[in-house]
Amino acid sequence: MDGAMNFTIGFSEGVVWGWPIAAYLLLAGISGGAMIISIVTRHFKEEVENSPLTKAGSLIGFVTIAFGMVFLVGDLHKPLYFWKILINYNFHSVMSIGVIAISVYIPLTAVMFFYAFEKEILKYFGFLSFVAKLLRPLRPYVEFITLWFAIIICAYTGFLISVLVRFPLLNTALLPALFVVSGLSAGNAASGIIATKFFKEDMHSFDMKVLHRIEWPIMIAEILLVFMLAVSLVVGNEYQKHAFLAFTSNEFGLLFWGGVVGLSFLIPIIFNLLLGKFTSHSRAVYYFTALSVIAGVFCLRMFILYAGQTFGI
Amino acid sequence: MSNDGRRKFLKGIGLGSLVMSVGSYGVVANKPTTDKKSKHYAMIFDQNKCVGCTDCEIACAKVNKVPKGQFRMIIEDKTDPKKPRERRMVRVSCQQCVEAPCVQVCPSKACHRDNLTNIVTMNADDCIGCLYCIVACPYNVRFVNEETHAAENCNFCENTNLKEGKDPACIEACKYEAIVFGDLNDEKSKINRILKIKDSLRMKPELGTKPSLRYIPAVRLGV
Repeated sequence: MDGAMNFTIGFSEGVVWGWPIAAYLLLAGISGGAMIISIVTRHFKEEVENSPLTKAGSLIGFVTIAFGMVFLVGDLHKPLYFWKILINYNFHSVMSIGVIAISVYIPLTAVMFFYAFEKEILKYFGFLSFVAKLLRPLRPYVEFITLWFAIIICAYTGFLISVLVRFPLLNTALLPALFVVSGLSAGNAASGIIATKFFKEDMHSFDMKVLHRIEWPIMIAEILLVFMLAVSLVVGNEYQKHAFLAFTSNEFGLLFWGGVVGLSFLIPIIFNLLLGKFTSHSRAVYYFTALSVIAGVFCLRMFILYAGQTFGI
Repeated sequence: MSNDGRRKFLKGIGLGSLVMSVGSYGVVANKPTTDKKSKHYAMIFDQNKCVGCTDCEIACAKVNKVPKGQFRMIIEDKTDPKKPRERRMVRVSCQQCVEAPCVQVCPSKACHRDNLTNIVTMNADDCIGCLYCIVACPYNVRFVNEETHAAENCNFCENTNLKEGKDPACIEACKYEAIVFGDLNDEKSKINRILKIKDSLRMKPELGTKPSLRYIPAVRLGV
């Protein structure tokens, strides 16, 4: 900043990538996270029938990524030219790589949705039984590939913005990891809600216990990554130190301390650990904390995007 | 599940993550062609000569049909308020990086390096307006043209004046020879002769973007 000569005017002011991108990042995270959790749980349980968790995971995985596309395309300045991205691939661009990943992932989630709801679909669309017969033997392979693409989808959203050298808060190697972990956290919460609310999963079933168990290591990893991110800035160079102000400024302090720390860390800890069995076993409290976690993950994406783009070099 | 199966599963995860992390960051891109005849257009801004008249801004907007209120280049007044007599102007415009982040990130190849001139420029028709190039540019010198809805940058008048064999509009307009334009790959060009005898610097070279714009900082006035 004290160089011999510089300029400080820019041609694009303020936050260029706003809340629709944050919403997309959240939805992609939920989709990937829910997919990963349902596939891994199903695998280790050696599940034969489709459990409520499998149904919830497949439904969320498919619907959220499809809905995310609406935000992604809608945020373009020329949304009607979206097809250009599909014919002019630039393999040096994370966005192009992401688009390729998405165009594999969405059909995969659709097939996963078909597997999970095979009985229900065939009840109404009997003529699809030949598709079912064709797809059934492929299920383990499709699950395996989907698992990988779910991780790629979560991670690529991190790489997408971590290549932006102008913004120290974004340009860090931690971001993809943070997005995978927070995606798992939001996916976990969403799966739990949908499985118990719509697929009549028992609140104390084996699957729900698994979800509750993995909640904590995921949260600890998330806290660690956020902490590392903050430390990497505060001990960094002049630009990075400047970007650290994001955590303490009035503008973004509330978003971070209230949204990220409060909603996604403190509320689950208070209601599930500190207030004892009565609250932690209540259905209403479960929904409340799960929704709070999802809102917290959205706040994390908002904070990263908005604060990140505010504190440039 | 058997122990063996689990081991295989974990192995798969480990291997896959390795492949992914290597693949995702393997970006080596958009190097200009290096054969001898190829061009490397560059520009020098001499702070000693610029008076801040902004004739260049006006000419640029006119020649390149930049919508009102938007700019491909401007002159920023960086005069120290404590020393108002030592005027310091700085040209703000695309730095024409050799390792251009905008070219690297553009998903539809709309932002590209021209085959003939090696200038970083735009194909407005292919631009989808994702703004990735705008957030990727470390100099924040790109913008979305309000009329074409496509991202845009200073391309040394590549598709206007340069195509007609003329110098870029800002060069034509400058009465003080504060900006010099030329081909770095041409040993005898004026720009090379100036760079041989004058100290110049580049903006944020630590980012590794290898900008083509050179700045000659003002020397202290008086003794």
